Amino acid sequence: MDAYLTSLATFVAINVTLALGLNLITGFCGQVSLGHAAFFGAGAYAAALVTTGGFPFAHGVVAAILAAGLLGLVVGLASLRVREDFLAITTMGAGFLFLGFVRKQDWLGGEFGIPGIQPPFAPRGMAVLAILSAVLVWLAGVAVRRSWMGRIFMAIARDEEAASSIGIDTARFKLAAFLLGTMSAGLAGAVYAHVVQLIVPDAFGFVQSITILAMVVVGGIGSNLGAVLGAVLLTLLPEMFRFVDSYKLLVYGGLLVLVMHLSPDGLVGIGRRLLRTVRR
Amino acid sequence: MFYFELLIAGLVQGAMYAMMALGLTLIYGLLRILHIAHAAVFTLGGYVGVLAANSGLPLAVAAALAVLVAAAAGPLVYGTVYRPLLDKPPYVALIASIGLLIAMEDGFRLLFGPYGLSFAENPWFVTGPDLGGIFLSWVQIALGLAALAAVAGLGLFAVGSRTGVAWRATVDDPEMARSFGVSPERVRLLAFALASALAGLAGFLVGLLNNLIEPGMGNITSYKGLAIVVLGGLGNVPGTLWASLLLGVAESFGSVYLDRILDRDAIAFFILVAVLMWRPQGLARGR
Amino acid sequence: MATRRLVTGLLLGAATVLAGAWIPGAGAAESIRIGFHAPLTGFAAGDGKSARLGAELAVEQINAAGGVLGKPLELVTYDDQAKPDQAVPVANKLLGEGIHAAISGSYSGATRAAAAVFQQAKVPYVSAYAIHPDITRTGDYVFRTASMGEVQGRGGAKLIGEILGRKKVVLITLDNDFGQSLARGFKEKAGDFGIEILGEYTYSIKQRQFGSIVASVRRDAPEAIYASGYFFTAGPLVSQLRAGGVRATIVGQEGYDSQNFIDIAKAAAEGVLITTALDRDSDRPEVRTFVEAFEKKAGFPADMVAASTYTAVQVLAHAIERAGGTDGAAVREALAGTRDFPTAIGPITFNALGEIYKPVQVQVVKDGRFRRYAVIDDPVLLAPPAE
Repeated sequence: MDAYLTSLATFVAINVTLALGLNLITGFCGQVSLGHAAFFGAGAYAAALVTTGGFPFAHGVVAAILAAGLLGLVVGLASLRVREDFLAITTMGAGFLFLGFVRKQDWLGGEFGIPGIQPPFAPRGMAVLAILSAVLVWLAGVAVRRSWMGRIFMAIARDEEAASSIGIDTARFKLAAFLLGTMSAGLAGAVYAHVVQLIVPDAFGFVQSITILAMVVVGGIGSNLGAVLGAVLLTLLPEMFRFVDSYKLLVYGGLLVLVMHLSPDGLVGIGRRLLRTVRR
Repeated sequence: MFYFELLIAGLVQGAMYAMMALGLTLIYGLLRILHIAHAAVFTLGGYVGVLAANSGLPLAVAAALAVLVAAAAGPLVYGTVYRPLLDKPPYVALIASIGLLIAMEDGFRLLFGPYGLSFAENPWFVTGPDLGGIFLSWVQIALGLAALAAVAGLGLFAVGSRTGVAWRATVDDPEMARSFGVSPERVRLLAFALASALAGLAGFLVGLLNNLIEPGMGNITSYKGLAIVVLGGLGNVPGTLWASLLLGVAESFGSVYLDRILDRDAIAFFILVAVLMWRPQGLARGR
Repeated sequence: MATRRLVTGLLLGAATVLAGAWIPGAGAAESIRIGFHAPLTGFAAGDGKSARLGAELAVEQINAAGGVLGKPLELVTYDDQAKPDQAVPVANKLLGEGIHAAISGSYSGATRAAAAVFQQAKVPYVSAYAIHPDITRTGDYVFRTASMGEVQGRGGAKLIGEILGRKKVVLITLDNDFGQSLARGFKEKAGDFGIEILGEYTYSIKQRQFGSIVASVRRDAPEAIYASGYFFTAGPLVSQLRAGGVRATIVGQEGYDSQNFIDIAKAAAEGVLITTALDRDSDRPEVRTFVEAFEKKAGFPADMVAASTYTAVQVLAHAIERAGGTDGAAVREALAGTRDFPTAIGPITFNALGEIYKPVQVQVVKDGRFRRYAVIDDPVLLAPPAE
């Protein structure tokens, strides 16, 4: 029972980290990214290569963040060239490209992936690590939100043309958002790799990307709290429905549709409306 | 000979992509919605077709049923899932579409089993006309012809018919179109019906081609379809056809020569990203 | 700000409490609980269904015969969607529900991830059909009742090169751990049997159209083709090869081992050979009991996946019987000491690593069903790794 909760908490925390990072890109800065799992994967692979090569875990984490950030920079630069409509599809393409390349490289383990990754701590310790990462990214998100950078992000998200017309170098800020978001995905990847101890390309595909996006949107895009709520809910949902294991996906999909209809601004939106009615 | 065979294989694949992409471009051009759930309509066509055929109906009837059911499903999806979300940011409809696809895929699995269904009688996927050394099955020919017909039909429709012109007007400027008496709502419903009919037919033909209908069969084709929509130019019917065929052929050759470097499915997205870096507005002229 | 933190905290707390509430308590003290995970939903749901049916059949038969040590067996089943990040919580959940041992009815990625959890908890774990080499290397509590991919590949080389006498071969390899390990084993021993590999072509698991591969094979004009895949890829592949005029002998493996393959490929499947674990024509009672009972229970003919999970349950039950109880260490000892235990997929003996040596069954598709063709019994060639 205890071990189960520990492992659940670990995965929830990892997903929260991912959702918070994506929220920076998509929610704060208005850039819909359908390829977030690629950065998650880049971080996981980088960390795995480093630690299975004999280096300490901390080095792996740094490598993960750097790798994901670098990839994020490349994709960010690419997405700058593209109009808003196409951004989602471009990021989707970037995700597929990354995976399509990785699964063919023998030095990355190819289809076998990278096995034998040694966790630096026991399961409880890994859970703590995952939670700490989530908290770290949360704090970073809050700090960004409150800072002048955050205000500019919001301006860009609301109306990019207007923002650039008053002299904001929107490109630089969009890149900054990409960088921050992808680096946190890298961190999540490093933790993930050391929890499951075997990483395979399939874990970082398009389905994973849209799952993370769903967490952000269901929680309430643009809101840090929303990202947390969405990640918690969507990670626990399949577990909650274990008693209808065979119908799980049907319910999950149906719920996504339902939530979008009932509350397009997510759980946070429901919360805000409730608070307003309560206050009256 | 070898290269010719690769080309033919690529064109057949391209025809399949075209049927999906044409529908997606209709919808995306009109509503800016990434209709990922289009994959489910494709699969629906496949299931309806195989069930009809296996229950004894002649193949043409099964095909017609597949098309009709799909054509009805499309507007239904629009009405129940997308219409209430039209005034919301695009990612809302996207998530709803994803949810719908996940639910429908699992629904197919629950209803029809996880192993997939095959046609009880299917001589057409392994026999074909004698073309002197080249093998082309009847289904492959049918797929190619269907794609061409779809393109020709849509092209004529867009230019020649009143509704077609109305559609183009609505894509360009809904408000203006409305002021001319065009009902955007009717145009949308029609677009969904047409797009879904194409997808349903494609699903049926592909099901025949592989002799296998599976719950998730539409997924990867749908994702690539979205890439093709961008490549071909929004709402650009001939452009979408060219992009589809180009992609099919690129995959055919690419999977042989780029075998060690890139996964076959990634070729489509490699082309997409490369083209967009060179021409951010896609391959379409103007706009 | 504080309110938000409080709300988040409360929600997390609520979720935890709910989590505690919906985990059912440990089962009745009189049953022996075996954990079981398989892909019940997702892309691998077909194999998951076969796996579950096979395991359930074994449990039913064992319980009908009086159970194990006088107690009934209970299968605790969860879905892992063939994903490692689902398999880990599932493994932990099973542990929390007081299972005494576990079986994997899933693919390699999920099995390997779960193996780490069970090994750490010192709970005996049997992988029914996942073939990644690292699974048994996880530790001494992990066993495998399937032959590793490399071993089967070597068997394939002997089949083609020596038994069939075909020397010019083309490889068509499914690009995942299953296909690649088979190809690896084949290539390793191909030379020993005089095989010349004219070319190797790979394809992805999502592919159903193989036009470019067919064109390449026609150009190479081989005598035989060694093609790896699952029924949903092999069915289309084989039909397209035959339709394209390729007459070479096609040899597949246990991934083809399902009636679905024949349903898809129809006439094209005739004459296709596969190396597998199940001999449907065997007259051994343990095989017949399985084959006939399975078809009755499931409504379709038995496949390799079902045979493997059925066997895994039997092996585990047998070990618990010999151990005289459900103590983890004792059961592990008993498993390790399994000698020539007769099962539907042959006599089982584990080596030090937890791997088995098994003769390879060669089946051929004849008149729309799999029939026996040959048996490759070569302990030297087919020896699994011992560490």
